[in-house]
Amino acid sequence: MIRIETLTFSYPGAEFTLNVPDFRIEPQEKVAVIGPSGSGKTTLLNLVAGILVPQQGRVLCADTEVSALDDPARRAFRISNIGFVFQDFELLDYLNVLDNIIHPYRISSALQLNVDVRTRASELARQMDIGDKLRRRVDHLSQGEKQRVAICRALLPQPDLVLADEATGNLDPRNKGQILGLLFDSVAAHGATLLAVTHDHELLPHFDRVVDFNDFRSDAP
Amino acid sequence: MDSLYLAWRYLAFNKLRTATLVICVTLIAILPLALQVLLAESERQLLARAGSTPLLLGARGSALDLAMNALYFADETPELISMAADEAIATSGLAMPIPLYVRFQARRFPIVGTTLDYFGFRGLRIAQGRQLALLGECVIGADVAERLGIGVGDSLLSSPEALFDLAGVYPLKMQVVGVLARAHSADDRAVFVDLKTAWVVQGLVHGHEDVTRGEDSSVIIDRTQDNVVASARLVEYTEITADNIDSFHFHGSPDSYPLSAMIVVPNDDKAGTLLRGRYLGSEPPYQLAVPKTVIEGLLATIFRIKEVLDAVILIVAVATVLALVLVFALSLRLRQREIQTVFHIGGSRSTIARLLAAEIVIILLAAALLCALGITVMQPFSDELVRVLFIA
Amino acid sequence: MRGKTRSAHCLQVLLVLGLMMTAPLLQAADRLVVYTVNYPLQYFAQRIAGDYAEVVFPAPADVDPAFWQPDAATIAAYQQADLVLLNGAGYAKWVGRVSLPRSRLVHTAAGLAADYIETTGTVTHSHGREGSHSHAGTAFTTWLDFRQAAVQANAIREAISRLRPQYADVFAANANALESDLLALDTRMQAIVSAAPDTPLLASHPVYQYLARRYDLNLEAVMWEPHTLPDAGQWLAFERLLKDHPAGWMLWEGDPLQESIDRLQQHGVQSIVFDPCGNAPGEGDFLEIMSTNLRRLDRVFRSNDSGGVFQQGIE
Repeated sequence: MIRIETLTFSYPGAEFTLNVPDFRIEPQEKVAVIGPSGSGKTTLLNLVAGILVPQQGRVLCADTEVSALDDPARRAFRISNIGFVFQDFELLDYLNVLDNIIHPYRISSALQLNVDVRTRASELARQMDIGDKLRRRVDHLSQGEKQRVAICRALLPQPDLVLADEATGNLDPRNKGQILGLLFDSVAAHGATLLAVTHDHELLPHFDRVVDFNDFRSDAP
Repeated sequence: MDSLYLAWRYLAFNKLRTATLVICVTLIAILPLALQVLLAESERQLLARAGSTPLLLGARGSALDLAMNALYFADETPELISMAADEAIATSGLAMPIPLYVRFQARRFPIVGTTLDYFGFRGLRIAQGRQLALLGECVIGADVAERLGIGVGDSLLSSPEALFDLAGVYPLKMQVVGVLARAHSADDRAVFVDLKTAWVVQGLVHGHEDVTRGEDSSVIIDRTQDNVVASARLVEYTEITADNIDSFHFHGSPDSYPLSAMIVVPNDDKAGTLLRGRYLGSEPPYQLAVPKTVIEGLLATIFRIKEVLDAVILIVAVATVLALVLVFALSLRLRQREIQTVFHIGGSRSTIARLLAAEIVIILLAAALLCALGITVMQPFSDELVRVLFIA
Repeated sequence: MRGKTRSAHCLQVLLVLGLMMTAPLLQAADRLVVYTVNYPLQYFAQRIAGDYAEVVFPAPADVDPAFWQPDAATIAAYQQADLVLLNGAGYAKWVGRVSLPRSRLVHTAAGLAADYIETTGTVTHSHGREGSHSHAGTAFTTWLDFRQAAVQANAIREAISRLRPQYADVFAANANALESDLLALDTRMQAIVSAAPDTPLLASHPVYQYLARRYDLNLEAVMWEPHTLPDAGQWLAFERLLKDHPAGWMLWEGDPLQESIDRLQQHGVQSIVFDPCGNAPGEGDFLEIMSTNLRRLDRVFRSNDSGGVFQQGIE
């Protein structure tokens, strides 16, 4: 599913350089990436998603060389094929639960919002046990409920790849397990691949593979 | 449509900010529009009144003061003329004179002394009660009745010219015998009295006990075979009743009695031209003004001022727009997280641009709606507003 | 063909009948409404305007119109009139205290203003030594000078003709006839007086000033009323006047009390009624009343001494 070849990336003006010689993730594999803060884990996710472009090397996602695409093409690819789950949810306070879930369909012409999409959104929400809160504003939800909404948003476009950046980082211990379980179930149900960045070592056993970022050379400060 | 929906949701969530922006834009838009409406209405009112008045006779001086006092009963009284001028017009056979004496007030409403011909000339109709008949009676305009809460059968006191004028005339208690139907003109806020009653208010016509037969020597300074000189102790009646009306009399020659202006209604165009020719020279102490010309001159001045005001409003509008641009720019900073989310999900800069544009469109539409509503609400009251703001 | 001619005839007849029936209605709608302040003006106006005007003098028969005060309803009627005929010379004091439409007022004696007679004996007043005087009195029975009456009648004709110019010729013809009658009175009066000019006469009330001026009457007046017996002071003043003005006749405005007549006779003064006719007479019209007045005066001037006898009532 994901193939990274001899990738080098550094932020302009920064001393930090990420070097990833060779990295593969198989389809439907659930991979966790661990490492110290500032080691470039989020940068890796952004490179895979096509948000960032490496100075050297290639990033391929489902046989598409994402790193070679121009910006509009990368965005179109991202919104159609990749679902993102963020640590602080990144929901829009001024939208209700349903509107947040279908938000990707409102901001990109690559996705078409129709009745079928709304039906699937409602069904996703029901699976996440938030089906009765569709009309509620997200700032009235608990942390766990918010992350469920974020997961629904990520999965609604039926992506092949789900990227999760510290998806349970802001949750209490009881919710962490629940959310991770929901995430795994949803990803499996959609036949998607999961690449998750996490600090939480307790969750590692649930993944198919754990990648230690210390294996990648980086000149972190 | 999605951008509009998201923009609408954002604006609805941030009610205070949205309301502030809408109000700012509304105010900037409505000011020139409202000014235009009011000026158009004032032009209509001023010209209608002036256009329906053929000629005005008054003392030489400011034709504008003359027109404002005679047509709109403005507070400033022009230099006075006398009844001799009225007699000159009447005997010329060229026009019908309608004398006016607008000098005094009754509870801040102008007292208009005139003749019955004025009512026919202006097409004024009695809605309640009857027309003036006896000395001391008054007929009030619709606004006077409404604001003072008085009607037929009530009384109205004239106001002293100067607040602490102890040596001045006593207020006259006038009887309200009629209320006029609303005329949508300056006549609505006038207290109409017979010309002679206006002279009573001034003290030129008065009533008192008969000193030629009286026994009270304290009110008599001197007595000869032909004349009795009364002292200031003689009490003059401050209300005209059926019992004392016969005692009211003139002093001096009626020809010398004052007027503030005279409406002159020529019999025809030729008569009007002849009359204007007579009063063109500097010899007669009067001027014969064409109200329409005078008011058109006033309006030209008003519109020149309006152009300056428009320029000022334009500058303020530019400043407001710049401020709004700054607000939007600052709000973009505050929405950096939301923008980043959009980028992360797969949205582009054009997505953000469309969202912002949609917000601006909604704000502008809301402001436009409020503007239209404000103008629509203001329109029916524009005649009253113009009278209160500009003419009264 | 015959049938058609008959139908046309019928139509013509119907048309004429219709016009005849509506003519009065049309004329009624066209009629002026004229109000006056005394009877003489009413008489003049009605004679001049004929059927083209309804001339109204609304004062009650028992009041002196010069001092009458109409009520609000009557004033309203005056306000609605097409014309209001004023006498002038201060007649009808009430006019100065009411509101009338100035454009419809006709000052019939405006052309005589320069010849008004200021009355003597009126005490004026002023306020403060520098103040202007109130008005002295003005004699107001202007119509008793029949030449002045003709001037007033002409003013009425002009006013009515301005409002109904289409009938100006009719008004002119009527006014000429009236003028002839008035000037005939004038001529006759002059002839009467010429029989014995300077005959001293007395007037019970100062209402004959214009009569006296025009016809050169040697007339002095007292301030008596026909229905009131003069008091002692008034008799005293009368006696003092009689010493300097040995008149043999007194002119009364109306029928005096018998007691007044008798007492005057004791002083050698006979009484006749010379009705100024300010108000509408019970019988007859203005011309008839004046003719009667002149007949009585004729007897006065023909009887040069006090031998004439007063006869009650109008002859």
